Amino acid sequence: MFDFKLTPETPKKEHKSDLYDVIIIGGGPAGLTTAISTARDGMETLVLDRESTGGLAATTDIIENYPGFPEGINGMDLMDRFRRQAERFGTEITEFEEVSEVRPIKEGLIEVETDTEQVYRGKTVVIATGSRPKKLNIPGEDEYYGKGVSYCATCDGPLFRGKDVIIIGAGNSGLQEGLPVLDYANKVTFLEFLPSSRAEQILQDRVKAHAKSTLLFNQRVVEIEGEQTVTGVVSIDRETGERQVFPADGVFIYVGYSPYTAFVKDLVDLNQWDYIKTDQHMRTKIPGLYAIGDVRADNPAQMTVSVGDGTKAALDIREFIQEL
Amino acid sequence: MALLSDDIVQNVKEMLADMPREGTLTVFTDDQDCEYCEQILQLVDEVAATTDRVRVEKFEIHKNADEAAAMNISRAPAIAITGEEDYGLRFYGIPSGYEFSTLLHGIHAASQGTSDLDGQVKDFLDGLSKPVDFKVFVTPTCPYCPRAAVLAMEMAIESKLVHANVIESAEFPELASQYNVMGVPLSVINDTERVEGAAPPQMIVDAVRKAIAT
Repeated sequence: MFDFKLTPETPKKEHKSDLYDVIIIGGGPAGLTTAISTARDGMETLVLDRESTGGLAATTDIIENYPGFPEGINGMDLMDRFRRQAERFGTEITEFEEVSEVRPIKEGLIEVETDTEQVYRGKTVVIATGSRPKKLNIPGEDEYYGKGVSYCATCDGPLFRGKDVIIIGAGNSGLQEGLPVLDYANKVTFLEFLPSSRAEQILQDRVKAHAKSTLLFNQRVVEIEGEQTVTGVVSIDRETGERQVFPADGVFIYVGYSPYTAFVKDLVDLNQWDYIKTDQHMRTKIPGLYAIGDVRADNPAQMTVSVGDGTKAALDIREFIQEL
Repeated sequence: MALLSDDIVQNVKEMLADMPREGTLTVFTDDQDCEYCEQILQLVDEVAATTDRVRVEKFEIHKNADEAAAMNISRAPAIAITGEEDYGLRFYGIPSGYEFSTLLHGIHAASQGTSDLDGQVKDFLDGLSKPVDFKVFVTPTCPYCPRAAVLAMEMAIESKLVHANVIESAEFPELASQYNVMGVPLSVINDTERVEGAAPPQMIVDAVRKAIAT
């Protein structure tokens, strides 16, 4: 029933290298996979994360399509295993430092500066910063953030025990993260913009089978209402034009993701949605600078693909460093 | 059956190996109404078994009302984390999930009697003249929460005027409701200032400034 986690809110480590072989920005599935491979290969490897390692995967309640776990595994548990595997081979991990700038100096030397004005130097740098939940940009969303509006059902779901909850978005993330909320809440209503859900069928079946859930489609949510805290969501039925207020104590928003690439937007090529373009070896146009995982163009935001990205980058990094 | 896996026990041993001084976990349970008290008692025993530097004391909050009052504890389950002195570190609820790290950090920091806070923050805390009470609301599934909880604890280590109460929101719904907790982490300072999210130290310092100015 209980699990117990160790995070770096334990005594801090000293930085040990003046020049890392690999600096990985982002400690999600992709970044930690590269770290496991490069550290195991004897390369000095540093992982920097703006938050705790684990990325979005760590805030996923149950991951059921990652091979090797026939019963599924809690996202936090799985990412804890990734992390320990990386650390076992000597990966250094620094959390809660956000990278503000990446500066290629010359072939084999890239500087990475963080918001704490620390400068790290690496022979190679891997961008694995992932993505963040998109905002709806509707009235009430910012005003009631932390007052009933949340983007992390895993974190805040337990606060809505016995309450009415709306989940905006019935794609994979909305349904996946909504399922555990159904265990706590009195009632969970899913409002989806599209005429049907694009989520995996197994998730749709589970949500539909739950007595406390309601799935509504063609819903354009236009406002989050509240007084001190959230009181409801205003939505327009796209078919009938009917405007309806859905009373709610909590609103979780899962309407897609946008990549964390602003800090390198002038350095690498981005596609029209700001994802980083790479070749098949995960190289950007800057020698020694790679991009992997959800932040990479053409990655379908699946963990198994991100892990593959991480491995490909590690293999190329080995060759790149040998040739320096 | 043990609560902590062999792997975690090994890690805890390593983390607590360099505790410079003894620390104590004083646990307050409630015989009448407590869902997880049994597990908390087991958990602190398992942590204490990893090192000879952590002592455990156990009290029932009603039968030992004097001890509870002396430690300023009015609800259970609660763990007071103390070192050579009582720095005012309290954890309400079972420190499971990510909050296990908060407990370990608290034990280590109380043993050291110092924190990793930077000089400016320490200078600010040295200059405090009014009490500062932190209530940091967390959930065990929140990966961002230990940062907020540990920051409050580190501030408490640095100043006798600061008290850090970390509260597992789902176990204390009445408190969560009283303080209108709808997202975690939430740091409430002197019951007036609220900081949502895992804020950097300077932002917390600014909120403390406002709280003590009122």
